[in-house]
Order: sequence, then C-alpha cells, then structure tokens
Amino acid sequence: MVQERQQERPPLPSLDMSWKTQTIQWGTRAPVHKDGGLTLEAINTGAYAEIPDYWEDRTRMPRGAFNPPGSSGVAIGGYYLRHKSDLWADNAAELYEEAISRRWSSAESIPWEKCRGLPDDVEMAIAQVSTELSQQASIEIEVVSSWLQQMSYGYHEVKVFLATENFDAGRHFEVFRKRALVNGGGLGLESPGQVNRMLLESRAGWTETSLLVHILRGVFTRTVYRYLAAYAPTEVEMLIGRRAAQDKTRHIAYAMQHIKYAVNHVPGQGRAFNAGLTQAELVAARDDADPVLWECLACIFGGGVRGMDAGMKVVARLRRTYVEDYLQRLAWIGIDHRAALSPEYVRLLEA
Amino acid sequence: MVTANDPFATYKEYGKEQGYDLRWLERRDVWGQQLDSTAKKGGLLLQDVDSGVAAEVPDESRNLTGRTRGSIPRTGVPRVGNYSVRTKADIWLRNGAELYEEAVARQWASATDIPWHTIKPLPDDIERAECQLATFITEVEFVAGDVPGKWISAVTPDYYEPRMYLISQVMDEARHLDVFRKRALVNGGGLMRRTGNTQGVVGGNIDSARDFTEMSARLHISGEGSVLTLFRMGELMAYNDAEKHIYRLCAQDESRHVAFGVMHLQYLGSIETDRREEIQSYLDEAERALVTGASGQNPAARGLASNAALAVLLGGGDDKVDEGMKTLLAVRQRQVKEYVQRVRVAGFGERFENGRANPMLEQYLKVY
Ligand SMILES: [Fe+2]
Ligand SMILES: [Fe+2]
Repeated sequence: MVQERQQERPPLPSLDMSWKTQTIQWGTRAPVHKDGGLTLEAINTGAYAEIPDYWEDRTRMPRGAFNPPGSSGVAIGGYYLRHKSDLWADNAAELYEEAISRRWSSAESIPWEKCRGLPDDVEMAIAQVSTELSQQASIEIEVVSSWLQQMSYGYHEVKVFLATENFDAGRHFEVFRKRALVNGGGLGLESPGQVNRMLLESRAGWTETSLLVHILRGVFTRTVYRYLAAYAPTEVEMLIGRRAAQDKTRHIAYAMQHIKYAVNHVPGQGRAFNAGLTQAELVAARDDADPVLWECLACIFGGGVRGMDAGMKVVARLRRTYVEDYLQRLAWIGIDHRAALSPEYVRLLEA
Repeated sequence: MVTANDPFATYKEYGKEQGYDLRWLERRDVWGQQLDSTAKKGGLLLQDVDSGVAAEVPDESRNLTGRTRGSIPRTGVPRVGNYSVRTKADIWLRNGAELYEEAVARQWASATDIPWHTIKPLPDDIERAECQLATFITEVEFVAGDVPGKWISAVTPDYYEPRMYLISQVMDEARHLDVFRKRALVNGGGLMRRTGNTQGVVGGNIDSARDFTEMSARLHISGEGSVLTLFRMGELMAYNDAEKHIYRLCAQDESRHVAFGVMHLQYLGSIETDRREEIQSYLDEAERALVTGASGQNPAARGLASNAALAVLLGGGDDKVDEGMKTLLAVRQRQVKEYVQRVRVAGFGERFENGRANPMLEQYLKVY
C-alpha cells in the first residue's frame, strides 16, 4: 500500500540552471530619484535603452532579455506592428509615469453635491453633452484597446502608455455618465456616429488611427473639455473639464510625437495623411451638421435656452479654436495642412 | 402649446420661435431623481448611478451603434459595433462595477510606492535568481494586458461594467510588467532568459481562446490564480522591503482579477446550465496546465528557469536549492488548494466529488 503511494507521487521537478549566465548585460543599476522614484525612463539604460528600428520577435520576450538559441521563429500570433515607426514615441515612458502620478477618481475627486439646483434647461443640456462625451470616450476605448495586441513587446513603453490612455478614457466614460445621472437629467441622445465609424474602421495602420482618434477627434474633445471648464455652471463641471482636458493633453502629446516620428521615417506618409485628413474633415462635417451638440453647448455657455443666441457665439469661437489648434499641431508634426483644409473647416476658421 | 406635465414647455416655445431644434429637451424617465454622493463611503460609485432604462441590462444586446446603455437611439446612425459578445451571460458578473471602482481606489505607482532604496546589494546567486524571476514575470504579465484588450472592443457597451473592469485590469498589468522590469534593472543585475522554446509560447493558449469564458477560465482562474498564490507567499522569497511591497501590491490587484473570473463563472453557470459541461471541459484543461505547467503562466511550474530561480530564492542560495524545492512544493500545494477553493466558489465544485478532477491534484494535496 505504502509502496503504491510512493509510485503515484508526481516526479520531482528537475532543475535547469543554465539560465544563470544568460543575460545580455549584467551590472545594471538604474538610478532611483528622491522625488520621482524609479521611473520607466530611468531603467532605459545601457543595452536596455536600445530601441531597435525593427522588432523581429513575435513572442512576449521583454526587450533586452536573452533569447535562447533555437527559439527564433516562435510566434504567438498578433504583434504585427513591428517597425519602430509603426508606434514609437520618445515621450511614451514619461507620459506613462505622468498618467499614473496624476490619476484621479470620479467617485472621490469630484464634489458632486455642488452641482445641485441648476435651471432645468441647463441641466438637460449638460446631460446631453455628457452623454455624447461619454460615448466619445467609449469609442476611444474600443479603438485603442483593439490595437494593443498588435503592438510588439519590444516597444513596451507605448503599450503601457496606451493602457493608461484606456484607463483615462474609461474614467471619462464613467465621469460623464455620472454627471448625466447625478441630478436626474438622464442620458440623452446617442452621437450622430460618422466620426465614430471612421475611427473604428480605420485600418491602414495604428499611425493613421492615432491621427484620427487623437488629432482630428482628440483635439476637438479637448477643446470641448476646456470650454466646459471655462463656462462651467458649477465647480463640478469645471473640475471634470479641467481634469479630463489634462488627461487628453497626454494622449495628444503621445500622438504628436509618434506621428512626427512616423512621417519622418516613412516616405510619403505625411503627404498621404494630408490628403486623408481633408476626407476625414468631410466625414466630421456630417456629424457637425447635427444641431444637438451645438445647441446644448450654447445653452450651457449662454446660461439657458434664452441665452442660446449669445451661447452660439461662444460655440463658434470653440469651433474656430479647435480648427486653429488642429492646424498648429499638424504643423508641429510636419504636416502643413492649411492649404488642404476642407471648405467646411475653412468656414469655421472664418466664422 | 404649454402643457402642464412638460417641465420644458416654456423653453420649447421660446426656442422654436428662435428656430432651434431642441430635440434634446425631452423629459427622461429619471427626471428629478437626485443621487446622493455622500450616502456611502467612497463617494459617487458607478454601481449606484444607474436607474430606469440606464439600469436595464438586456439578455441579448442589439446595440450596434456603440451608444452607451440607456442613451436614446437615433435613426440614421451607422452600425459600427463589431461586437461578438452580445449575450449577457457570455461576459456578465454580478459586481463588475464594484470591481472597477475598487481598482480605481487601489491604484498605486511603481515609481513611488515601492521603497526602492531598501534594495541593497545581494549575493550574486540571489540577484541572478531575482532577475530571472523578474524577467519571467515581466514577460507573462501583459498576457493579461493584450488579451483582455482584444476582448474589450468585442463587448457591446450595453455590458459596460465588465468592460470597465477589463480596462482596469489592462492598467494593472501594465504596472505589473513595469514593476518587475524595474526590479530586474535596479540592483546591479539585468534581464535574463526569456521563457524558452521547450515550453512553447507563454500564454499562447490564452491568446487563442475564441470564447470569452474559455479565455477567462484559462487566464483568470488558472493562470492568474497560480500567480496570485505565489504573490501571496511573496514574504518567503523577498529579500527586502521593496520586494515585499511589490508582491503585496501585485497580489491585491491579482485578487481582483481572479475574483472577476470566479464571479463570471458563477453567473454563467447559474444562468446557462446547458453550458456547464463545456465549462467543466475548460477546467479539465486548466487542471492539466496546473499540474504540468503547460499553461506557461505558472512560474512555479517544473522545468522553467523561473522554477529553479524560485528554488534558489526560497532556499536562500544556490547551495540550498533542496530546501528551496521543499518550500516550492508547499507553494504548488497551496496553488492547488486555492484553485480548488475558487472552483467551488464558482459553483463547479462537483468535479472534486464525482471523480472528474485531475487525479494529480489530489496527489499534490495528500502527498506533499
Ligand atoms: Fe498581473
Ligand atoms: Fe492579473
């Protein structure tokens, strides 16, 4: 009986110690800083700081790990973005740490009790704007998260930064949902959907998607956040607008750095993007023809339905600010888009 | 026409005269219902905000335009949602919003919440083992970032609660990837060998699952379950306060990830009883992986470099690996015990009474 039990015992693990000497660089000591601690940037030192132009490996091998001989060619599937120019941005590591150090919570960081007692029309306008902003964040989540597994492990800084963008967008989804519901305004109409479709259907590469989701849409969303903060009826909308704009600034900063890098390294890409954006603006113009978002913003800015005429002037300024900011950021990237701007966007500039 | 029960009638009258559309100015079902953000500790929580149509979670979702649950559909909006998960039971759990809010409240920063200065130079054999283990963990952590990422965009926004949880998980895993990479590079060591060809590819089977529950059983119950047990026993292999903090904080996160898997299985098993056999077959696989290490996710699995590294760390040096192996067997035994407990909580414990469970599990529990 005892004998049998012995035989059933699973074999004892064998110990392979061959890994002990397998490292491409030993003796690395990343600096820990007094205030900032140990950052993702700081560990990019020596061999570990080398970011290759092409990442051959399609497993989860960490950059700088020792790849055992005979294991090349193994692949998980996915990880199709393998050129540095497909996704890289020098500021990704820094933005990642910034996102973490500036995290906030919609549950606890917003003084919700301070948004009571607004006029009914203003409350409804806020509920509608919140519904659309919540949906914009929801679409952003779908767009960004669907690309994660395509991104090679060799560029982990970008992957982890985008994890923070997703988390930010999740927060924007729920903070605006909470705002729509906290006073009983309720969720309003869904978005018109043309830009949403364009973002989700973009498949030429992550760079194109980033251009659309971060620059075309993202710069617009950030402008709305900032105007919402500036014309906020209460401290609640002011804080939400400010903090969401701060988050959005990071997403745009990644995109600017990345797209600049991409157009500098991929011949013809800047030209293609310049033409593509004109088309994208026409799609955006279809959404913009719908009056709901503009009326609600005008109602908030003008202090009610009776102030909407005055509010519309602020809306026109918001839209002009957006197009100016959009053009400036494209110019920084290296795309001189002014001459290719769609007639619809030109009209906004002239308004 | 001013009617008594339209609170917006006078606004509408004025607005229409001015040529405004005002389609948005319609009374909603929750009109006038204020939410009290002070009622509970923790502020205004996601699990407390929905009521009326916003709270109605359909068993089958027909939302293909990406609208948020409870918002009002418009005609003429293109269908863009290529959502393969549109059946509630396929993804649902009873407290997804709670798990999300808990994740938000418990975020931490690997840069500043780990007392990195407590790491002092270690003997070479220990540092090498630390670095090998950290290399392994940084490699596997983002399995749980990439794979949930893919599923987030496959889930209809009508089931936003589990989606939000998955977003928080991707964030957690980014931090785990990063904290272990930092550990490998902070103390005079470096990254070591990636998990080799003998074990196939790390997490490959988790990536390939085409059903969410199948993926979740492999990832949350089996893979992350093993990792959670190991992190919980982190005290045994930590050589300083920094490492203790890393294991403790990661374990806190992993327990949410495992809880998601358990609670999803619990929900699915109670709603779709005709899928129970199928789920049991996923658990058969999970157990095979658990006892053989075939999942590639368990650092304590035999034959992996991380297994040997653990033996060095648990024993206290290259010359004490035999002692380390004994402790490691205790780790594996606890992994099995906790796995059994999770499956029981998920409502599939009958496999341990009716002989279906992998016989090796029982041997682990009895022999060692
Ligand atoms: Fe993890
Ligand atoms: Fe996890």
